Amino acid sequence: MKEFRFTIIIILAAIGLSLYLLYPTYKNYKNEQGISKILDKRSEEITKSNPDISKDDLSKELRLVEDSIKAANPSFTTTKTKAVKLGLDLQGGMRVVLEVNTGKLLEKIAKNPDDTFKQVISEAEKEAAITDESVVDIFARIMSQRGVRLSRYYGSIRDDDSKIISELKTDADDAVTRAMEIIRNRVDQYGVSEPSIQRQGSRRVVVELPGVAREEEAKQLLQGTALLEFKLVKDPQFTLSVMNKIDKVLAAKNAGGDSTITADTTAQDSTKQLSQEEFEKQHPFYTMAMIDPNGKFADAYVKEDQKDKLKILLSSPDVQAVIPNNVEFDFSAKPIGKQDGKDIFMLYCVNKAPELTGGVITNARATIDPNTSSAIVEMEMNSEGATDWARITGANVNKRMAIILDGAVYSAPNINGKISGGRSQIEGMANMEEAKLLEIVLKAGALPAPVKIIEERSVGPSLGQDSIYAGLKSTIIGFLFVALFMILYYQKAGTVASAALIFTVLFILGILAGFNATLTLPGIAGIILTIGMAVDANVLIYERIREELETGKTMKASVDSGFSKANSAIIDSNITTFLTGIILYQFGSGPVQGFALTLMIGIGASLFSALVIARLVFNIMVTKGMKITIG
Amino acid sequence: MRLFENIHIDWLGKRKIFYAVSAIMFLIGVVNVALRGFQFGIDFKGGSEIVLQFDNAVDIAQVRNYVENIGLGSIEIKTFGGETGVMVRTELQNIPADIYPRVVNNIETAVHDIYPGIPLRVVDSTESSITYELPNADTTNSLVSKLFAQGYQTGKVSEEPDNRQMVVNVGIAEWVKENLKTKMADNPFKVIKEDHVGPKVGKELKQDAVVAIIFSLIAILVYLAFRFKFIFAFGAVLALFHDVLITLGLYAALYGVIPGLNLEIDLTVVAAFLTLVGYSVNDTVIVFDRVRENMKIHKTMPLFDLLNMSINRTMSRTILTGGTTLMATIVLLIFGGEVLRAFSFTLFFGVIIGTYSSIFVASALVLEYASKSKKKVQF
Repeated sequence: MKEFRFTIIIILAAIGLSLYLLYPTYKNYKNEQGISKILDKRSEEITKSNPDISKDDLSKELRLVEDSIKAANPSFTTTKTKAVKLGLDLQGGMRVVLEVNTGKLLEKIAKNPDDTFKQVISEAEKEAAITDESVVDIFARIMSQRGVRLSRYYGSIRDDDSKIISELKTDADDAVTRAMEIIRNRVDQYGVSEPSIQRQGSRRVVVELPGVAREEEAKQLLQGTALLEFKLVKDPQFTLSVMNKIDKVLAAKNAGGDSTITADTTAQDSTKQLSQEEFEKQHPFYTMAMIDPNGKFADAYVKEDQKDKLKILLSSPDVQAVIPNNVEFDFSAKPIGKQDGKDIFMLYCVNKAPELTGGVITNARATIDPNTSSAIVEMEMNSEGATDWARITGANVNKRMAIILDGAVYSAPNINGKISGGRSQIEGMANMEEAKLLEIVLKAGALPAPVKIIEERSVGPSLGQDSIYAGLKSTIIGFLFVALFMILYYQKAGTVASAALIFTVLFILGILAGFNATLTLPGIAGIILTIGMAVDANVLIYERIREELETGKTMKASVDSGFSKANSAIIDSNITTFLTGIILYQFGSGPVQGFALTLMIGIGASLFSALVIARLVFNIMVTKGMKITIG
Repeated sequence: MRLFENIHIDWLGKRKIFYAVSAIMFLIGVVNVALRGFQFGIDFKGGSEIVLQFDNAVDIAQVRNYVENIGLGSIEIKTFGGETGVMVRTELQNIPADIYPRVVNNIETAVHDIYPGIPLRVVDSTESSITYELPNADTTNSLVSKLFAQGYQTGKVSEEPDNRQMVVNVGIAEWVKENLKTKMADNPFKVIKEDHVGPKVGKELKQDAVVAIIFSLIAILVYLAFRFKFIFAFGAVLALFHDVLITLGLYAALYGVIPGLNLEIDLTVVAAFLTLVGYSVNDTVIVFDRVRENMKIHKTMPLFDLLNMSINRTMSRTILTGGTTLMATIVLLIFGGEVLRAFSFTLFFGVIIGTYSSIFVASALVLEYASKSKKKVQF
């Protein structure tokens, strides 16, 4: 047995690794079953106590329950990230491909679009719909055919066409970046879990929103101009007093009306006296929104899992009643740090009315301050905006100004002094990346990023469920058929092949989990197809062994030469399938890629099962002198 | 159990028969492609497709009747899955110009039901949306959400607080849903699948698909030429062409012939064809691998006998490997659900034709080539 030790170790390691990688998937399945059981019960309770509740409110309530369950068990989330991901076609959701509408962009940034201009634009758009040439190129060509210089609409009078063309192309490029940031921001706020927003080519953005049932609403998120606002951040005293009021309202709600809390305890001194549990009960708001007692500001720190809950609480009528109606609470767009592995967001209290909106911004540029060599953003405004800006900044020196895009705070810099002339400099960015993001955000408020949907696919959750069920059923039936046939035809050798087939499927799933790959419906089809093709290698080997036995060789010699002689045919035939798998992966998108992936992984796994595992079993059986039947 | 043991059949002697069989299959395909053409799914044609799941069984003729009257011209209506599923599909990208006023009229009626007599000013109208200006910001906001709740796809033009403009989408899918909702009020439905593919995307996907298939044929030719002599690689790839073309022809021939089998060429079908390209060459490789081996053993045997012997010796494994894969595709065809049906069918038929060609066609082609060039074939 000694000579097999190494092979045995490898096989056991492969099996162990696969099981280890698949465990989170199983665990996640169990977790989700548990959660959905609780949610079902809860939804029954809610509808019983309040039969008129609208579908919307019900789903909001349920999401809250779900969030709190997940918050109580942080392992749920980590398990989920390690589980095999299901594609949109299995879990439901939508995939949208957006293209920046260059024609519209050109029209919006043109200085004085006249009739000729509009004619040319619509001509260019029509042509672009059928060719691969870019709208800017076609537009420039038609203009030059008509003898119109581009400087009539863009840039300054002395600029030649080629310079303007390259600038317009940069603008079109930037528009994609802007559109992506606007969409990302909105999707984050909408609360879609695991959204994916990717750039495809030069002008396209692919957005994948798993589990979105209300596609119309989601589609709205993706289109429309963004709103950039400058709002003053309230001073700490004011903010704390509002927060204290909110805290009390929530605590009273917790205590079920008969509040035992003395009215004059403040957040600061109660921290020292109360145990954690009591504190949570008496100060529900401060439990979710933590204030740095030594900090200069009263911005609250909120963990990602509390964000949605807090948002809903803040919008509830009794809390709204104690918030002065000229202020509002806004979250930071991006996490500002991490604690206990969870992202931390900022919660700002700002004036409801904006001081200015983004329309006045003419340009923004991320750059390096030559004096301090830190990343900064330079912002320019038009003359109208500059006048207002000088007045606003002059009146609010040493206050903070929040820069808010579609309701999310991107930055809240301090106003160091009156800014006249319309040129401002924003400091305090940690790195160039952050500065670039702010540049995009500032531009997003001023420049349009018109997009149109050019492809859209959505699958409802019920169809997804049906597909999973059909896939599972086919896998099991396919496996049984093939295994049964192998056992009938090759007897004991067939049993070995069938057992190896189980490991093939196990390896495929394990590798999928390990690579964090996505399983799609065609992907499941790939697994079923692999089951049918995996035994091909066994068939080739067994037929060979039979031939060798016929020539009068011993079992041991036949097994040896059977395996080695079948090798070349097995490898050749599998490599061709693998090659098409690679091409398919390149060509396909989403579901088709999932198929190509399982097909390729399946080939690797089945070769391992047939050439390593099955061979080992045969070798052991031969050395132990067991009888091998091969039909 | 043993099948095809010690068979000594002169396959190549009968090759004229198989040429005839292949030629007939091929001709049937060509005639059908020429007369009926291919049915492409919306992946390649572009258009809109919605799948509705009704609460109760639905009469497809009734749905067709309703939908045909809403002015979208010939709309394709099919059952999807069981008897409660309906697929509605059209190649149209936008609402046709003659229907547009009706759609707009519907929207305006809905607006006036909510706010009787409210002044509406159209500020912009495109093929797929219409933009209204309303008297003030508050009514705009409430109208946007109220219309949205009724199933219209509405939005504010800008998020500015004093925004008074509202945009309403007038897409095909919305129009169909809206009409069915009112006409089939007693049998409510939900949308379980909705696809929309722009014309440019469809064209690109078609190009990509053709390129992918050509690339995979070239890749296989190169690989086999590297592993075998060129003439064998050539024979194998010709056999592959044979498989792909006959299967394609079958698509044209069988479209709409078998009820419940929806043979449209979409992305997954292309994936199936590519898999076919990779897989159906397998059996051919097994035969050629044996030819190569036998050439070394029987140095003086004529190619004719060598090929016959190799085919006979590998017959059982050719049938068995094809058979197990066929089993898997049959299971997929029966249990894999509506979404995978055309995909499974392609593989099912492709595996059969692939096995046939590696027995009867590939070696014969090698033989023809060798006797034409009169050279001795060597490995």
